[in-house]
Amino acid sequence: MNNTKSIYYPPGGVLIWIIIYLELITFGMAILALAYYGSEERELFHNSSLKLNKTIGTINTILLLTSGFFVAKGIHFFKASNIKKTLSYFNWAMIGGFGFLVLKSIEYYEKLEAGLHMDYNSFFRFYWLLTGFHFIHVLVGLVILLVITFSIRKKQTEASFEDIEASASFWHMCDLIWLLLFPVIYLLF
Amino acid sequence: MKDTITSTFVLLLTLTLVAAFAASNVSPEIIVTTVVALAFIKFWLVAFQFMELKKAHPFWKYLIIGFGGLMGLILMILL
Repeated sequence: MNNTKSIYYPPGGVLIWIIIYLELITFGMAILALAYYGSEERELFHNSSLKLNKTIGTINTILLLTSGFFVAKGIHFFKASNIKKTLSYFNWAMIGGFGFLVLKSIEYYEKLEAGLHMDYNSFFRFYWLLTGFHFIHVLVGLVILLVITFSIRKKQTEASFEDIEASASFWHMCDLIWLLLFPVIYLLF
Repeated sequence: MKDTITSTFVLLLTLTLVAAFAASNVSPEIIVTTVVALAFIKFWLVAFQFMELKKAHPFWKYLIIGFGGLMGLILMILL
């Protein structure tokens, strides 16, 4: 394990943190653009926001946070060399992530059925673009978790602790992005 | 360590439910400040506890706090 107190070795490695900050800045700029247009067209954004299901948004937040919790626990047990518990927590994390994707897909289906597609208005353009890109990130995060879980299970030596920690950091990054998206899209207008 | 992760998780769930409740029940004058402040606390908790940034060099800590704080500030100004 590297010395995480060094500026060159944040938990998970410097490369994943460069990616995390780039992703946060990209999503952050889009969220600020959404807020800016929302401040220009308050009534339209308010009425459009009312068409979203806040309960689904809240449950999805809980699913992602729960999944992040399982990953954090998995890393904790991996450090303690308890592979069985690590795998168990990683499996639960993937179930949580999968649950998020299923619920988001149901929400997307409902919106499409109601005709609330990307060209409906500027709020829904932001809604589809931001949540859509986030959806892809969660999907990629799930694949990474799946690969790393197989790697741990097969006791392959290629997967170092830093690889596993970097995978976990990517998963938590999906949490971080959602924690910014959820209030702005579902709660604030 | 184990307790920190679990207590952070419980706190995150509580803050999520409080934010959802506040969005429907708090007066419009303070809704943005309340929801954005809660989001910032959750952002900080995930970064520092789940991602273990609390163990990292101060550079990485200040960068994430700076980003979250700046986002919150601009959101409060815009909305």
